[in-house]
Amino acid sequence: MIFKGDQVAQDLVLKPDVCIVGSGPGGSMVASRLASAGAKVVVLEEGGHHTKDEFDMQEATAFPRLYQDRGNRATADLSIAVLQGRAVGGGTVVNWTTSYRTPDDVVERWRSEHGAQLTPALLRPHFDEIEARLGIQKVDLEDTNRNNRTLYDGCTKLGWQVDTTNRNVRGCLRTGYCGMGCPVDAKQSAALTYLPDAVAHGADVYANCRVQRIEWNGKRAQAVVGAVLHPQTQQETGRTIRVEPRLVVVAGGALNSPALLLRSGITQGPVGKFTWLHPVVAVGALYKEPIEGFYGAPQSVASHHFAHRPEGAGFFMEAAPVHPMLVGIAMPGFGAPLRSRMALMPNLASSIALMIDGFNGDTGGTVTLRPDGGPRLDYPFDETHYECFRASMKAMARLHLANGAEQVVTFHSLPIVATKESDLAQIDRAPLGPNRFAAFTAHQMGGCRIGSDPSRSVVNPDLRHHFLENLFVADGSVFPTSLGVNPMESIYGVSSFAAERIRAALS
Amino acid sequence: MPTRRGLLKKTLGGAVLLTAAGAVPLALRRTRLREVARGGRLLFFTQAEYSVWAAIAERILARDPTGATEEHGGGPPLASAASVEASGKRANAPAVADVDVAGKADAFLAPLDPASAKDLKQLLALFDNALFSVLTGGPAAPFTQQSPEEQDAQLRAWQTSRLAIRRTGYQAMKRLCCAIYFGSPETFASVGYPGPPYALVKTVLESRR
Repeated sequence: MIFKGDQVAQDLVLKPDVCIVGSGPGGSMVASRLASAGAKVVVLEEGGHHTKDEFDMQEATAFPRLYQDRGNRATADLSIAVLQGRAVGGGTVVNWTTSYRTPDDVVERWRSEHGAQLTPALLRPHFDEIEARLGIQKVDLEDTNRNNRTLYDGCTKLGWQVDTTNRNVRGCLRTGYCGMGCPVDAKQSAALTYLPDAVAHGADVYANCRVQRIEWNGKRAQAVVGAVLHPQTQQETGRTIRVEPRLVVVAGGALNSPALLLRSGITQGPVGKFTWLHPVVAVGALYKEPIEGFYGAPQSVASHHFAHRPEGAGFFMEAAPVHPMLVGIAMPGFGAPLRSRMALMPNLASSIALMIDGFNGDTGGTVTLRPDGGPRLDYPFDETHYECFRASMKAMARLHLANGAEQVVTFHSLPIVATKESDLAQIDRAPLGPNRFAAFTAHQMGGCRIGSDPSRSVVNPDLRHHFLENLFVADGSVFPTSLGVNPMESIYGVSSFAAERIRAALS
Repeated sequence: MPTRRGLLKKTLGGAVLLTAAGAVPLALRRTRLREVARGGRLLFFTQAEYSVWAAIAERILARDPTGATEEHGGGPPLASAASVEASGKRANAPAVADVDVAGKADAFLAPLDPASAKDLKQLLALFDNALFSVLTGGPAAPFTQQSPEEQDAQLRAWQTSRLAIRRTGYQAMKRLCCAIYFGSPETFASVGYPGPPYALVKTVLESRR
C-alpha cells in the first residue's frame, strides 16, 4: 500500500527485510526487484503521493509541490538553481522524459579508473528490460515542437550531429507539461511503473516521511528513523516511523543521500564530495514566426556534437520548455527591459547546453549540512567551467543564427544580443562569475561514488557501503562522474544491477 | 564552516560596517510602511519587511523605464517587429500590487527554516538601510524612501556588484518576485501565453474512461 502522512495516526515500528529511503528511479527499481523476489519491503519517501488529477499544469502549483525545497533549491550562493524532484516517484514525476543508456565510454571509465564492475555488456539486459517496461522509444522528427525543431534544423544546417531523443511515454498528447507532472499519465514515471509493481508484491510505501537518520552500531545499520509530515502543510505531525530492517538501501538521490549519511554520522570516505551537476547555461533565440515553446513535448532533440572537445570540458545541447515562471526566473534584468523581453516569449526558442563535468580534472561540488540538516551544496566555478560556458553559448547562438533567428540573447546579468556571427566575440568579453549569468542544473549525480578504494569512494563495486555491511546506496549519487546524457535511465540501470547484489546479500 | 552572518561580515567590509549601519539615526533608516494588502495577516514578514519586499517587487516588475533601468551587455535591444506588434495587442500586464506579490511571497516563505529566514530578513534590513546605501554610493535614504530612479540604480548596483554577496541578494529577490508574478495566471495573457490546454486534457481523459 501507499500511505500518506495523514494516514499515520500513531508512531510506527516496522521490521521488514529491507528499508529503502527514497522512491525515485533508484528506490522504486530496487523495491520492485526485491518485492517481486519475495522480500518484505518498506519505502520511505519525503515527498507526497500525487496523481494525475492533481497535476493542474500550473508552475505555481507544481514547483512548490513536486520539487525539492518547494522549487527553491540552489547552491549556497544561489549561483546555480537546482531543479530536483520530490514526490512519490522522485524526479521521474517531473523530468522531461529524455531517456538514454549510459554511454559505453563512461561505463568503461568508471571501471578503469574507479574499479566499478559495471560493463556495457553487463548493463545491456537491464536497459533492455527498462526500456520495455517504460515504453522508451525514439521520437519521430514530425512529433517535435517548433522549439526543439529550431535546435534540430540549426545543427543540421551547420553539419553538427543532432538527433531526436528517446522518451518514456505511452499515449503522449504532447501537451508540454512534463515538468509539472503528466496530467494524462502518459509519462511512464516510477510512480506508475516500478513502484506499483513493488506494491503489487506487498511493498509498503510511506509518503510524507522525512528520514532524519540511520542508526548504526559497529558495522551494521540498525534502524531508519523518520518524521511524518502533513501532506498539505509539510509540517511534522509529531508521529514517527522507525524501521528496523535487515538491510538498508539509501536512494534519496544525489544531494539527499550524502546528506542523510552525514546526518547519521556515517562519514567514512568522501561523502558529499565529487557531486556533479551537468551545469546548464541557456540562450534565447527570437524568431519572426511564433515558436510557442510552452506546448509540445518539451525535450525531444539533442546534439552531442561537442561532447568531446580538445579545448576542455564537453557539452551537449537540448531544448527547454518555455513557460512563463521558468523564463521569468532565468531572463536577466529587471523592470521595463525584463518586461519587454518577457513580452516576446511566444517567439522565443530556448536552448540549453549541459557541461559534462567530472572528466577534466574538475572536482565538482560538495554537499555538507545546512543548520536544519538539509543538504547544503557548494559548487565553485573555475576556468574549466567558464571556457565551456562561453563555447556553449557561442555554439547555441551560432545554430540559431544559422537557422534564421532574428536575434539571440544570452542570460548574462547584462544580456548580450547577437544578430550576426561577428557579435559572438562579445560573449568572450562578458564577465562570468557566480550570479553574473543564469545557471541551472536538472541532473544531480555523485556524492556517494562507487569505487574499489574505501578512501576514495563511499560504496564498493557492489554498491554496498564500504564500512556498513548491510547498507547499500542505489541512485545517481553513486556515479563517479557525470554522464554526458540525461541520467534517469542510467539510475534505473545501475539500480537494477544493485538490486541483484542486494538480493544476494539478503539471501 | 563560516556562518552566513560571518560571510556577510567578511564580504561586505567587516563588522564595523554592519555595526555602523545599525547606528544610523532612526529617522534616516525608517522604512516607509505600507498597509498589508487585503488586510491579511502576515505569516513570515514583519510589516516593515513586507513593505520593503513590496517596494522591491514594484521595481523588479516595473512597466515604465527610468534612466537607471537601461542595460546593455552588447548588441542591440532585444526586439522583433512582428512580436512587438503582437505584444502591443495583448492585455495590459496587471499591477504588481494587484497580483499581491508581497503577500504571496509572505505565504511562500512562511515554512522557511529558521537559519534561511534569518538570512533573508538580514538581507532585507540591509537592502533598506540608509547608511549602507550611502556607504555604497547611493542616496542617504532607505530603499523604500528613494525615487524610482534611485531604486533602480540600487537594484542595478546589487545586480552587477563586484561583491558576490550583493549579487546573491539581488538574485534571491529577483527570482522570487518573478516566479510569483509570472507564475500567476492573471499575468499569462500579458506575455502571450494562452495557458494550459485544459479542454484537450479533459476531452482525452473522458474518452479514456
